[in-house]
Order: sequence, then C-alpha cells, then structure tokens
Amino acid sequence: MIRRLFKRIWSAATAVTLAVLVCGAVLTLAIGAAALLGYPPLRVADLWLHGAAGSWYALSSSCADACPLLLTGLAAGVAFRAGVLNIGAQGQFLMGALVAVALSTRMMICHQPVLVIPTALIGGALAGGMWGLIAQYLERYRSVPVVLSTILLNFVALYLAEAALQGPLQAVGTAAAQSPEIAGKYWLPLFVAYTDFHIGIILAIILAVLLWVLQERTVFGFESQVVGLNPGTAKAMRMPVTWRQFQIMFISGGCAGLGGAIQVLGQVHFMTAHMGNYGYAGIAVALLGRLNPLGIILSAGFFGFLDTGAFRVEESSLALPHDMANVIKAVVILVMLVLAGISLRRSRRVGNPGSSAPTETPSA
Amino acid sequence: MNTTQNIITFLSRQAVTAATPMILAGVGELVGELSGVINIGIEGTMLMGCIAAYTVTGVTGHGTVGLLAAVATGMVMAVIFAAATLWGRADQIVAGTAMDLLGVGLSGMIWMMYQNWRENLGFSTALPHGSGFSPVAIPLLHEIPYLGPAVFEQYMLCYLTICLCVVAWWTLNHTRLGLIIRALGDAPEACHAAGVRVRLGRSLCLLFAGACAGAAGAYLSIMQTHAFASDMTGGEGFVVLALVIFGRWKLPGLVGGCLFFGLINSLQQTLQAARYTSQNSVLHALTHVPFQFFQMLPYVAAIAALAVMSRKSPGPRYINIPWPSIKT
Repeated sequence: MIRRLFKRIWSAATAVTLAVLVCGAVLTLAIGAAALLGYPPLRVADLWLHGAAGSWYALSSSCADACPLLLTGLAAGVAFRAGVLNIGAQGQFLMGALVAVALSTRMMICHQPVLVIPTALIGGALAGGMWGLIAQYLERYRSVPVVLSTILLNFVALYLAEAALQGPLQAVGTAAAQSPEIAGKYWLPLFVAYTDFHIGIILAIILAVLLWVLQERTVFGFESQVVGLNPGTAKAMRMPVTWRQFQIMFISGGCAGLGGAIQVLGQVHFMTAHMGNYGYAGIAVALLGRLNPLGIILSAGFFGFLDTGAFRVEESSLALPHDMANVIKAVVILVMLVLAGISLRRSRRVGNPGSSAPTETPSA
Repeated sequence: MNTTQNIITFLSRQAVTAATPMILAGVGELVGELSGVINIGIEGTMLMGCIAAYTVTGVTGHGTVGLLAAVATGMVMAVIFAAATLWGRADQIVAGTAMDLLGVGLSGMIWMMYQNWRENLGFSTALPHGSGFSPVAIPLLHEIPYLGPAVFEQYMLCYLTICLCVVAWWTLNHTRLGLIIRALGDAPEACHAAGVRVRLGRSLCLLFAGACAGAAGAYLSIMQTHAFASDMTGGEGFVVLALVIFGRWKLPGLVGGCLFFGLINSLQQTLQAARYTSQNSVLHALTHVPFQFFQMLPYVAAIAALAVMSRKSPGPRYINIPWPSIKT
C-alpha cells in the first residue's frame, strides 16, 4: 500500500519535474529568440515575470486568465478520457456565457445577488451541457461523428451569440454586438480586495478536484474510462455505454459553459461574441495536463501565466507581440509529446504493463 | 441575358471562388488522412501560408514568389508535424492542436513585426499595386451561359486546383502510387512487407498536404482579399476537416461538400443583400431576420445534410496510430 502510494507520488513528481524542465528550456529558448530579433532578453524576461507574478495583482490576473482555461481544459479532459471527442468547448463556452449574461442583465431573479449569481452560473453550465448534448444526440441517433458536429456547432454558437448580442441582449447606445455591463452587485465576489481573485477561481479548482475524485475513485469514472478505451469491452461488460457517453458529454459541456459564465460574471463583466479562443486552447491545456484534472490545474496555470506575462511585455515599450505566448505553448506541447512518446516506448520495451497507450489498437 | 441567368452565373462563380481554398486544403488533408495521419493543424498551416504569401509579396512585389513562399512555409510546417507525430510518435490530434497554436502565434507575431518594420522604413503595409492576383478569364470558354464564368473566370490557382483534383483522383484510384497511399493508412504492415517505408511514405503525404494548405492560405491573402488580418482563416481549416469526413474520405465527395458549402455561403450573402432591394414580398419579409442567421446557414446546412445522410464511414483504419506499433 505504502509502496504503491510512493510509486504514484514518484511518477507524478517525475512527470511534473519533466514538464517544468521542458517549460524552462522552451522559455529560455524563447527569450533567446527574442534576443536574436533584437529585443533585450533580460528586460523581456524581467517584464514577463513581473507582469505575470510580480505582485498580488499580477498574480491574480494570471489566475483569472487561467480560470476559463482550466474549465475548458476540464471539459476537453473529461470528454477525451471517455473517448468522446468534444472539440466544441468553444461553442459551449459561448452558450454558457450567453445564458449567464441573459440571467444577470435581463432576467435577474428577484434582483438579489444571492439568487442571481448562482442561477447565472448554473444556467450557464446547463446551457453548455445542453449544447454538448446536441452533438452527442447527433452521434448516437443520426451517426454524425462528434468531432465533426462539435466543430460545426461552434460556428452556429458563435453566430447565435452574435445575433443575441445584437438583438435582445444588446447594450443601449451601441451598434456593436455587445451586451450591457453587468451590474456591480452581480459580479462574482473577490476574496482578496483590489485584485482579480474572484471566487470563480476557487470554484474551478474545487470542480477540478471533484472531477478527479469522480474519475479515479468511482465506478462512474472507471466505466467511462473503459468506454473510452474500448466501447466493445464496455458493452460486453454490460456497461451502459450510450448513457455514459451522454453523461460525459453533459459534464464536459457543463464545464465549458460554467467557464463562460464565470468569465463574464467574474472577469470581463460584459460579453461580446469574441471573448478569446478559450475553447480551442482548452484542448491544448487538457492534453498538456495529460487529461488528469489535477494536471490540468497546473497546465492551465502555466498557460495563464504565459498569456498574462506576454500581454504585459506587449504593452510595455518593447512591444514584443503577445502571440509569442502561443508559439511557446505550441513548442512546449510538441516537445512534451515527443518526450512522452519516447518514455512510453522505453517502458513498453521493458514490458511494463502499467503504462497504457491510448491508441495502440485500430479504432473503428 | 435574363435575371435568372444572371443570378445563377453570379452564385455559381461566388461558390467556386469560396470553395477553391477549401478544396485545395482538403485534397492535401485527404491524402494525409488516407495515409493514416490526421492533421488538425491545417488551420495553423493555412494561416502561415497567408502571412508568408502576404509578406513575401509585399517585399518582392511578385505574387508568384509569394505563392511559392506560402507553399514552402506549408511544407516546413508539415516537416515539424511529421517529425513530431511520425518520428516522435506524438498523438496526432494533440500535435495538431499544437500546430494550430503555433500557426496562430507565429503568424500573429510575424504580422506585428512586419508592420513595425515596414512603418519604420516608411513603406505602406499594403501590397504593392498589381502584385496580388486577379481573376483570369479564359477566352471564349468564359462566355458559356450559366456556368461559364464559374469555371473559366477564376484565379490562376483555381485552374491549378481543378487540375490537381483530377490528377489526385486519378492517382488515388487508378495507380500503384494511389494504392500505396491508401495502404499506408489501411494496412501499414502490408506496405512494410512489400518494402515500402511507412514513415517515409506518410511524411511525403504530409509534405504534399502542407504544400496544399500553404497554397490555400496564399489564395486567401493575396488573391481573394489582398489583405492580411490575424486569424483571417476564421475556422476554415476546421471546416475542411469536417468536409473530409463529410465526403467519406472520397475525393468527389470532398469536392462536392466544398462546393455545397461554398454555394450555401454565396447564397446567404446574396440573400442578405437582396432582401433589402427586392420587391418580392417573401424576400422582403426576410429583412426582419438578423443577418447572423444567414451566416449560420452553411454550418446548419452541413449538420442537417449529415444528419439526413446518416451513414457512418469508418475511414482509414490506422489514423492516429504510430508506426511501427510496438508489441508488449
């Protein structure tokens, strides 16, 4: 028992150490590349670090930026682990944000923050979940692959959100597709004053831990993993495959929708249809976190740190494009993938049955 | 010339113009997927093609050089992707999303730095006059009523795309090379036994796909719009991925899907414009519909078409399975 625990901690520690080493190496390379392009490297590094973690405020904006990434990352992670290829976190995120904005600017329940905030969050999560279920329904009953329908539904959600934001939800006195600002009393409360530390961040982390427990310590989690690895086996073991897939899709879409709701209530306080590519970035977050909810917390934090720092460097007199952050993320993911592939190959060669490759068998 | 003929001519020409980059990128993606590699990152590759074509054309003043640069850039992206997935055994979906991020990030970075650089030198960032491409009408043929202009009054790259489609279809279905490409994705062991180097073969297919996606990017930036904007592909790469599945990994299906998508798209644009000027009461009633619902139409139509056709095709069996697979 103790030995197993030790082994687990050891493997987690090596994985995290590897990730940290890779991130450090890539960051160093990036700063070197910036130097080659004529930007003073030390000042870039200094601005980056200070912008992302130099003060409580900087740290809080990194965390607030990581929060939607964490939720969309969870959405992708939960779904991928169960073999439900939900690429639609972007659309589910938008639908969640849309419903949350509607519930906090147009349909406030009793005008009481105690009622409005929870209903907006829950409404957002439900909207995301339902949006996901459309794709799962199409897969199950109309044989449209989820990968395909979620991609297409992302665009439908985008235009639906724009139509709503230019129609019933539009702010007074603007022609743009934009909602009015949410009244201050409906904002998510901060737990450190004068920062961006809103309770949505805590909520997201709690949700991640809950999902970890659900995945690792319950029958539901085990069954959904079997469904993901081999639906045929799951069926033979009399697991409710279809039902599990619908549940997983609902949870996944719900996470993304909650992410949208938290983003509008906690961070930006109004909505446009172009709130950032959190949905697509969430896929990368989930995969860097190895589809493990606890790993996803770390990788979302890393992404938030990179993004926030990059924006500060761009705003400074150096004007280094913030898209640098995306390049760094991409390189980190590629390097991690290749390294993981190599370590997988090694452990396979010595015949360690503990490591399982997700896709070694042809999938139908 | 009557009105109906005008409308048909206009719509079909618009549809082909809009469908060309999707067909181009789609042919590449199709060949890649048939060989057993799914590349989610074509969106990123297309963006890199856009920026490469635009900046190189802007600097040299020659559109052709820009197009070649875009093709080369697409191939470089393909080399990175092939190195990670085929030789580094990375998961293709994950590596594909990373390639997307890379494309978005690098193209955005290059665009900002290019703007700064040109402005510091005192140049405009717009393309030099006459360096972008314009449609070329083929004499006589483009005067064919109804569908003449759709096929014979297009950009040079569109004619090349049509040739490419024919060649690719012939190659895939009637030649030994096509057989090998399909076998790479369906039975790599057989290829291996026959002395075909699986990873090399797949790498070459990916190179082709990268070149196609890069050229599609160039089409968007230096032909269709003569401009660059960050994220200008606007999800077109993802739509291409969807259309490959939509066409069930068959070239005619893919082309049909792209044309259908392009047609619905041009139809919705025309309807959007026409509803304000038309005397027809039905069309006029549409003025009350928000224009976003028109923009949504191609995607809804694609979903509806899929839901109605409703037959799953498994596609190449060895998509996203590294070679050689290691037995425990």
